[in-house]
Amino acid sequence: MLCKGITESFGAAIHALNTTKLTDGVISRSKRMMLDTLGVGLIGSRTAVFNKALMYSQSFKSDERSSVWGKSQITLPPPFAAFVNGIAVHSMDFDDTWHPATHPSGAVLPALLALAETLPSRPSGLDLLLAFNVGIEVQGRLLRFSREAFNIPERFHPPSVVGVMGSAAASAKLLALSPAECIHALAIAASSAGAPLANAATQTKPLHIGNAARRGLEAAQLAQMGLEGNPAILDIPSGFGVYYKDYSPSAMTVPASGDFKWMLEDQNIAVKRIPAHLGMHWVVDAALAARAKLENTARNFDLGQIRRVILRVPPSKYVDCPLPSTEHQARHSFQFNASSALLDNKVTVSSFSEAQMNRPALKELLSKVKVETPKDNHPSFDKMYCEVEIETDQGQSYAARCDTFYGHWRKPLSQEDLVDKFSVNASSVLCSEGVEGLIDVVGNMERVRECSILGSYLRLTSSQQEQCYSLQRL
Amino acid sequence: MISTLQKTIRPVRAVRGLHKSAVEVLKRPDPEDTVTASYGRFISEVKPQHLSSLVLHRSKRMVLDSIGVGLIGSTTDVFELALQHCQHMYAPDDISSVYGRRGSRLSPTLAAFVNGVATHSMDFDDTWHPATHPSGAVLPAVLALSDMMPNSKPSGSDFLLAFNVGIEIQGRLMRFSHEAHNIPKRFHPPSVVGTMGSAAACARLLSLDHSQCSHALAIAASLSGAPMANAATQSKPLHIGNASRLGLEAALLASRGLKASPLVLDAVAGVAGFDAFYEDYVPEPLESPNDGHVFLLEEQDMGFKRFPAHLGMHWVADAAASVHTLLVGLGPGTVSPSQVQDILLRVPKSKYINRPFPESEHEARHSFQFNACSALLDGEVTVQSFTPAALRRPDILALLSRVRVEHPHDNPANFNSMYGEVQVTLVEGHILKGRCDTFYGHWRNPLTNESLRKKFRNNAGAVLRSEQVEGLIDVVGGLDTLGDCRDLLSQLQ
Repeated sequence: MLCKGITESFGAAIHALNTTKLTDGVISRSKRMMLDTLGVGLIGSRTAVFNKALMYSQSFKSDERSSVWGKSQITLPPPFAAFVNGIAVHSMDFDDTWHPATHPSGAVLPALLALAETLPSRPSGLDLLLAFNVGIEVQGRLLRFSREAFNIPERFHPPSVVGVMGSAAASAKLLALSPAECIHALAIAASSAGAPLANAATQTKPLHIGNAARRGLEAAQLAQMGLEGNPAILDIPSGFGVYYKDYSPSAMTVPASGDFKWMLEDQNIAVKRIPAHLGMHWVVDAALAARAKLENTARNFDLGQIRRVILRVPPSKYVDCPLPSTEHQARHSFQFNASSALLDNKVTVSSFSEAQMNRPALKELLSKVKVETPKDNHPSFDKMYCEVEIETDQGQSYAARCDTFYGHWRKPLSQEDLVDKFSVNASSVLCSEGVEGLIDVVGNMERVRECSILGSYLRLTSSQQEQCYSLQRL
Repeated sequence: MISTLQKTIRPVRAVRGLHKSAVEVLKRPDPEDTVTASYGRFISEVKPQHLSSLVLHRSKRMVLDSIGVGLIGSTTDVFELALQHCQHMYAPDDISSVYGRRGSRLSPTLAAFVNGVATHSMDFDDTWHPATHPSGAVLPAVLALSDMMPNSKPSGSDFLLAFNVGIEIQGRLMRFSHEAHNIPKRFHPPSVVGTMGSAAACARLLSLDHSQCSHALAIAASLSGAPMANAATQSKPLHIGNASRLGLEAALLASRGLKASPLVLDAVAGVAGFDAFYEDYVPEPLESPNDGHVFLLEEQDMGFKRFPAHLGMHWVADAAASVHTLLVGLGPGTVSPSQVQDILLRVPKSKYINRPFPESEHEARHSFQFNACSALLDGEVTVQSFTPAALRRPDILALLSRVRVEHPHDNPANFNSMYGEVQVTLVEGHILKGRCDTFYGHWRNPLTNESLRKKFRNNAGAVLRSEQVEGLIDVVGGLDTLGDCRDLLSQLQ
């Protein structure tokens, strides 16, 4: 078997990266990612999918226990804490997205926090930042091994492919595994990778992130116990290459002295403003702009006067859903998000509730939506655009185009808006001390002595919230 | 018949559908009419009376063999590691028993995991055509789940039904692609179909409704798929362990109402489902068990291994063993490397079992060269052929350096059609040949019940007392008439 030493280089790099290699730029960006991830995880802890996973996970016993975000009384064995918290993060499709496409943080942070709470070494905030960035970096590297990864996926859901590898790398880092053990953590994780895209837009999709976090952590733990896999797992096409049609891996090197170039510094992430697939953000911004034009021009503006709405979007089957019947489908529907934006002049968390989805006015608008996929609209989060054209009964036409939505890596959320998103999300579950405590700890992460303190804030629920919720039907 | 009624109702639905955009109707199949839904219905509707006596007989043999290899597998390093992992990361739980470890119990999915690892730890478990190791992915999960059921344990026939559902689903899924018919190159089949089989078996045992059964399969699909690169390493047994564990998990999540894709088995352009794991994929619906359905096990028997190595090794071992017999007849009674000038193997082309100098027991179990040389030296390959000492025998190393491998065009990488030829050129000039088209244990030349029991006794006897060993043979033999599978569950440790 041809062994080009690529896997070996990854093992060495994961081991070699230390806190001195962290730059201000990467620390600043990754703290934003952490805060956003915690926020979406907290609001996600009130979803049906989270609850099902939680109930399942509670059947497992363990001596070591880790926090469940947003729950003051419940703890779980660390792998299952990683599992449910990861599910929470992705439960509403509200978590960060990168280019090439994946949701990097949800696969990594839940695993690290679960692990950190049980480690006798009591890792610091800087240790957490390092491990987190290792997990992100490895994902970014792996995504660049194929051209296929640069486009919106069709076969495997990227977090299930690279996410578990990132989680394994990050966990290996926090566990301070040797270079050989890091290699085997990756090899073992590779056998846990790969979930088909068909489960996107279903209730199972969040489990892809939950399982990435959980099984990456498990891979690192098994490697620590001495389990071995194929030490050339990244090198050969029958290894990690099975997940891609084209596969061209390259080595990862950490200079002994001098700077390490983190991918996150070159390529920022996108933070979502709407709990829906990233593609929806373009169509919503375009729809809002088109609506504004209509409102400004027309005297007595009435949505009933809309004859047709044309969406010009990139071709991507799994987000082309004319009549979504579940919240999961709605989050993956150009048509639904455009119609919601037109109807309500905004798309928010509540847009995806059953009541909102069933509104006759919305359904009527949906029936008027037509999707076109122009040849120049490339299915890539770096290149796509969306156009929304509203045609009225009077024969007038109002169109708007969005090339870069606010929150995209080319137009990142301001710090204020990022913290605001977090506060709104976290407040749905935590009391204000918890919300502020998290903003404070994450904001000062590089100076925090024990990062497990995050766990105590993540459990500071407002008792009202917890009581209220437990009375609701699942 | 309900199925004919459904057929008459369908056209009416289609007519109503025309009032919607015709394009919409074309895009969206009737949700009841999908391949995925047909699988959900089959699993939920199949009953013990649908199992023929031949299927019962064959599946009981599989259950016995699988338990045996699992028991001997509980003596391996990788099993120990997996068990310790589960006991440290989680705590012992009172529920499901661990093969061969008296008093050790774990949570059901973790027990399924370690027992699955044990089953595949020595590559000693059964192999089917198209290629996979079906029992190891299913039996540990069904056992663990049976242990979990609170009040009354399943009857022996419910147990066997669940087991056979798990096998059947695997066989059916493999027939969706040509790729599956050959020795795998990309994904390790047990990690692809095994997880699905386990989910199906557990869904059956849990008596889930047809919709939950569909979702169990769909949830399992997101837990399937491991690369071939980890075959021939210590991680390979985890593929079976995880298949068993995660299939059970999928069924348990489905029983709690978790939903997934209703089209996971259907081929939808642009959004891969189960077809993500294959280059060619043509799914077929599964007919109702009442519609004259025949289990695949009825038509395609199982291969059982006589020694713990990849199936392909059995051909070269048998071929080399016949040369050994000739050699021993000629000379001093044993075979010595000094007699041998050259060894030529004619085998199918398959990278992961072509290893000239294996460095670990895992690699040795996946090495045409090693198994041929072992059989040439000893006349047979056994459990003992893969110990650390045996791997380093000077005689073996000497012979290994004289092996050449050819891949004749007429020798396909396919367990149904391949052959193994061993040609030994002696120093004094003679050329001795051996060829094996069908090794003893292959589905075309199945192990007799006597041979199967002998294998079981050797395996189980490594770990259990002889009364337990005989007890298990009896219980499994009468499994379909057993009122309560507790008798089976209690004898595994």
